[in-house]
Amino acid sequence: MMAVKKKFPYRAAVVACNGDCPASAGFRCSYGCVGCGNCAAVCKFGAISLNANGVAEVDEERCIACGMCVKICPQQVIRIHECANSIVVKCSNQDRGKDAREVCQTSCIGCGICERTCTAEAVKVVDNCAKISEEDCLSCGMCAVKCPRGVIADLRGILT
Amino acid sequence: MYTFTVNGQVVTTRKKQTLLRFLRDELHLTSVKDGCSQGACGACTVIIDGKTCKACVPTTDRLEGKNILTVEGLSKWESEVFTYAYGEAGAVQCGFCIPGMVMCTKALLDVNPDPAEAEIKYAIRNNYCRCTGYVKIIAAVKLAAKILREGVIPAKSADDWKIGSRVHRLDVEEKVLGFGKYPDDFYMDGMCYGSALRSKYPRARVMSIDASAAKALPGVVAVLTAEDIPGENKIGHLKHDQYTLIPVGGLTHYLGDAVALVAAEDMETVERAKKLIKVEYEVLPTVHSIEEARAMDAPLVFDEEESNVQAYKHVSRGNAKEAIKNAKHVITQHFETPWTEHAFLEPECAVAYIDEDGDVRIISTDQDAYCTFHECSLMLGTDKVKAENALVGGGFGGKEDMTVQHHAALLAYRTGRPVKVRLTRAESLLIHPKRHHFVMDFTMGCDENGRILGVKAKVASDTGAFASLGGPVLERACTHAAGPYAYENFEIEGTAYYTNNPPAGAFRGFGVTQTCFATETLLNMMADEIGITPWEIRYRNAIRPGGVLPNGQIVDESTGLAETLEAVKEEYDAAMAAGKPVGLACAMKNAGVGVGIPDWGRAKLIVEEDQKLHIYAGASCIGQGLGTVLVQMVVSNTDLRRDDIVYERSNTWIAPDSGTTSGSRQTMITGEAVRRACEKLMEAKKDGKTLADLAGQEFYGEYLAKTDPLGADVPNPVSHVAYGYATQVCILDSKSRKIDTMIAAHDVGKAVNPLSCEGQIEGGVVMSLGFALTERYPIDENCKPIDKFGALGLFRAHEIPKIKAIVIDKPGLNVACGAIGIGEITSIPTAPAVTDAYYRLDGERRFTLPISGTPYERKGS
Repeated sequence: MMAVKKKFPYRAAVVACNGDCPASAGFRCSYGCVGCGNCAAVCKFGAISLNANGVAEVDEERCIACGMCVKICPQQVIRIHECANSIVVKCSNQDRGKDAREVCQTSCIGCGICERTCTAEAVKVVDNCAKISEEDCLSCGMCAVKCPRGVIADLRGILT
Repeated sequence: MYTFTVNGQVVTTRKKQTLLRFLRDELHLTSVKDGCSQGACGACTVIIDGKTCKACVPTTDRLEGKNILTVEGLSKWESEVFTYAYGEAGAVQCGFCIPGMVMCTKALLDVNPDPAEAEIKYAIRNNYCRCTGYVKIIAAVKLAAKILREGVIPAKSADDWKIGSRVHRLDVEEKVLGFGKYPDDFYMDGMCYGSALRSKYPRARVMSIDASAAKALPGVVAVLTAEDIPGENKIGHLKHDQYTLIPVGGLTHYLGDAVALVAAEDMETVERAKKLIKVEYEVLPTVHSIEEARAMDAPLVFDEEESNVQAYKHVSRGNAKEAIKNAKHVITQHFETPWTEHAFLEPECAVAYIDEDGDVRIISTDQDAYCTFHECSLMLGTDKVKAENALVGGGFGGKEDMTVQHHAALLAYRTGRPVKVRLTRAESLLIHPKRHHFVMDFTMGCDENGRILGVKAKVASDTGAFASLGGPVLERACTHAAGPYAYENFEIEGTAYYTNNPPAGAFRGFGVTQTCFATETLLNMMADEIGITPWEIRYRNAIRPGGVLPNGQIVDESTGLAETLEAVKEEYDAAMAAGKPVGLACAMKNAGVGVGIPDWGRAKLIVEEDQKLHIYAGASCIGQGLGTVLVQMVVSNTDLRRDDIVYERSNTWIAPDSGTTSGSRQTMITGEAVRRACEKLMEAKKDGKTLADLAGQEFYGEYLAKTDPLGADVPNPVSHVAYGYATQVCILDSKSRKIDTMIAAHDVGKAVNPLSCEGQIEGGVVMSLGFALTERYPIDENCKPIDKFGALGLFRAHEIPKIKAIVIDKPGLNVACGAIGIGEITSIPTAPAVTDAYYRLDGERRFTLPISGTPYERKGS
C-alpha cells in the first residue's frame, strides 16, 4: 500500500448509488453501480471495494481523491466530494418517479421534499434526481431526515 | 419508546419530536438554543456519538442507543477551559451562538488536539455568528486547544477592569456554559404559548373573523382579536401606525400583520387553532415597490394617509447646484442598495405574566425595555406594566420595534397566565423591520485638485408596511450622505415610501450604510478622473479638528478621520506598490441620537444588602457588551474593585430610562451618566466610608447630550455631540479573486475595552462583506420575503478574509472618559471599499449591491 498524504480540506470519492439491489443479480437500474469492479481494480490505495451487494463503496480514510475511479466508472456514478460535506445523494437515477420507484427501493423519485426542506437552497432536483451544491450546503442533514426514500445519506452515520 | 443517553443519563421518551424540542421542553437543557429550527444557524448544535449535529434535525425515533452531549454535560475542567478561552479571546458578544460553537470546539479538539486554522474554520463553518465575524471565536478555539494540550489555565491577560483594559466580558461564563437566560429559556409554572395568525394577503380588508372553532379546540386558552385590546390598538416606535391586531374593517399592510392571537397549552395546539380561525378578506391590489408607491394612481397603503409618502427630508447648505455648475469635474451616477435582514441569532421572544404587584411583567429581548413599557402600556391602557431585559441574542437595530412583546402582554393580561410568544425564524424574517432598500442619484463636483465643491442628491427608500424608524433613517441617510469631508455646498432630497412589503427600520448604520456607498464610490471615481489615489483625495478633503462639515457643524478636537487614513497608509501603499487590487473608503457616524432630540443617559448606582454597588441603567445590552463597559466605567471612576460591583440588566421599575440602544449611543451617553453617578458616590465615600457604611443609598447620574435640531437657525448647529470616523481598506488576491485582507481603522475616542472594540469592528466588517457581496432578502410579487435562514447568504467562518482591526486611541471628548460609540460605523465603509477593490481588479464599476462578478456570488442564483 502506498503512503497516503492528505491535504486539508480532505476530499474523497463518493458513489452515488445506494446499492440497494444486488448488482451481481443482474442490474435493473440503468443509472446505478453495476458492480463491474473496475474502480476497485484501478484504486492504488485499496480505498474502494464492492460491498455485500456487489456495489462499490469508498473508505474515506484511505481515499486521496485521485479521481482514477471517477474516470474509469462506466456508469459515471462516482464523483469527488469534500469529506466535510457528509450529507450526500446516493442515487443517480434520472427516471421519472414512477419508473425510478420500480427499479430500486432507495431510488430518488424527484419528489422535491429535499429541495423544499433545505434552508440553504442547496438541494435541487435536476433530471429527476436530487443534487446538493457542496458550496451552499450547511451539512445539517434535514434533507436526509426528511427524504422518504432514504436516498440522502449522512456519511458520518449519525442521521442515517 | 425511544431510549438514548443525554449527558451520561439514560433517558426514555414515547413522543416523536425533534431532539431540540426534547432537550429544551422536556429536559430543560436550555444551552441548546433554538435559532431557526431549519438546520441553518447551528445554535442548537450538540454532540452525538462524538460528532456535531444540529439538534433540530434528528427526531427522537432516530436516536435509539445514541450518546448525546450538550454544554451542560461538559466536565468541570472543560467548562473552565472553554470559559477562559472564549473570554480571553473576546469571542462572546450576544452569546446566542456560543454553546453551539463550544460544542463544535469540543468535537474538534477531542479528535484533533492541535488543529490548523483552516480546520478550525471548517469545524465551525456550519454555525452562523452574526456578532463576531468569527475572528475571535477562531482565536478562542486555538487558545482552548493550547490549554487542553498543556493542562494549565494561565492568568487572564488583563484583570484590572480600568478603562482601556482588555478584560473578559462579565457575561462570558453564563453564555459559554449556557445557563444565562434569554426569554425563550424561561419555563414558568402554568405557562402557555402564544402566537399570532398573520394576514393571508399583504393588502386586504378584514371583513370578518370567526374564532369559534379555534376557541372550542381542547387545549386552547384564549383566542383574541382587536376587540380584546383594552387600550390603543395602534402603537409604534415613534408614529403610532402599527396595528397590534387588525380589526374587522381594517386594512392589512403586509403579510406579517396579526389578525388574531391564540394561546394554548402547547405549540402544536396553537398551530392547530390558528388554522381553525376563519377570516374573510376583501383582497386589494398591493404596492410592491417605490415606483408603484409613487405612481399617480397608486393604491394607498394606509387608509389614513393622503399619499404613500411616509417621510420627506430636504437638507441644504450653501448652493450645491451652482457649485457643481462651476466645477471642473462632475460625475453623476445612479446607485441601488438592497433590503437586508439583521439575522440576529436569537429570534424575537417575550414571556409575560402577572407579577406579585398585579402588573403585567414582560421579559423581553429588545433594544429598549422602556420602549416595550411605553408601547405595551399604551396598548393595554394602563401603566401597570413592567418590562425587563433577559439576555438579548443580538439586535443590530432589528429589535427596536414591538414584535412579540405586545402580543405576550395582551395574552397575559387577558388570560392571567404566563405566556411565551416566540417568532419562528420564518416569522422573524417577515416581521421585524429590515434595512431599507434605497435608490439614489448623486452628482459630485470637484476642482482640479480633487477638492469637493458640491454634492447634490436625490434618494428614495422603501419603508414598507409601517413607519417604524423610517423617518429618522431617511434623515440620517441624508445628513451623512455628505461624508466626513470639509466642503460647503450640499443638497439632498429624500423620500421614504410606504409599501406592502415588510417594514424597514433601524439597521446598524441607520441609512448611512446606503448613502455612504454612493458618496464613497463617487469619490473613488473622482480620484481616477483627477489622477490621484482614492487615499489622496480623501486626505485632501478630510474633515479635521476645527473644520466645518457640510451640515455646518464645527468639529471638535476629537475628530480623527485623518488619523484613520494615516493608520492604513503604509499597508495601502505597500499593496498598491505590489500591484494588488486595493479599494478604500471612509465613513463618519454619529454617537447619540442628535439633531435636537432630547437624548438622556440615566443611571442609578445602589448599594444593596450584599454590600455591593449595583448598576441600574434602563439601557439594553444587546450583545455589544454594555454591562462590561459600565463596570469598567465605575472601576475607573471610583476606588471600587470589580468584585464590589454588580451589573443589573435593564428594567423599568428600578433602572431609570436611559434610552434605546441605537445610534451607537450607550457607551457614551449611559457611560457618562454612570460616570456622573460615580462622582456622587465618591463624594459620599470621602470620609473613608465603605460600601457597607453606604448600604441602602442610591447615587443617581444623568447626562443630556444636547444638540440642535436639523435646520436650526444658528450659523454652526451642533447636529451630534460626537462622531466616530473610519477608514477601511480592501485588498484582493488577484489569483483567487477573493478578498485577502480587510483593514479597518476606527477612531473611537478612548476605547473602553479594546478587545470588545476589535470584536465590534471584525463583526461589523464581516456583516458588511455580506452586504457588499452575498446577502439577499428577496421579496416576491406577493410581497412575501424569503423564509429560509440558510439562504440569506450570510458569511460563514471559512469564507472570511484576514481582518486587521486598528483602534485609533485618540483622546475623545470630556464625556464618558472620552469614549465614542463604535457600534454602527464598523459596517459603513466596507461595501464601497470592497466595490472599489473589484473595480481595480477587473475594471468594472459597480453601482448596485450586492455586487456581481465576484467569486462570492452564489452559483445558479
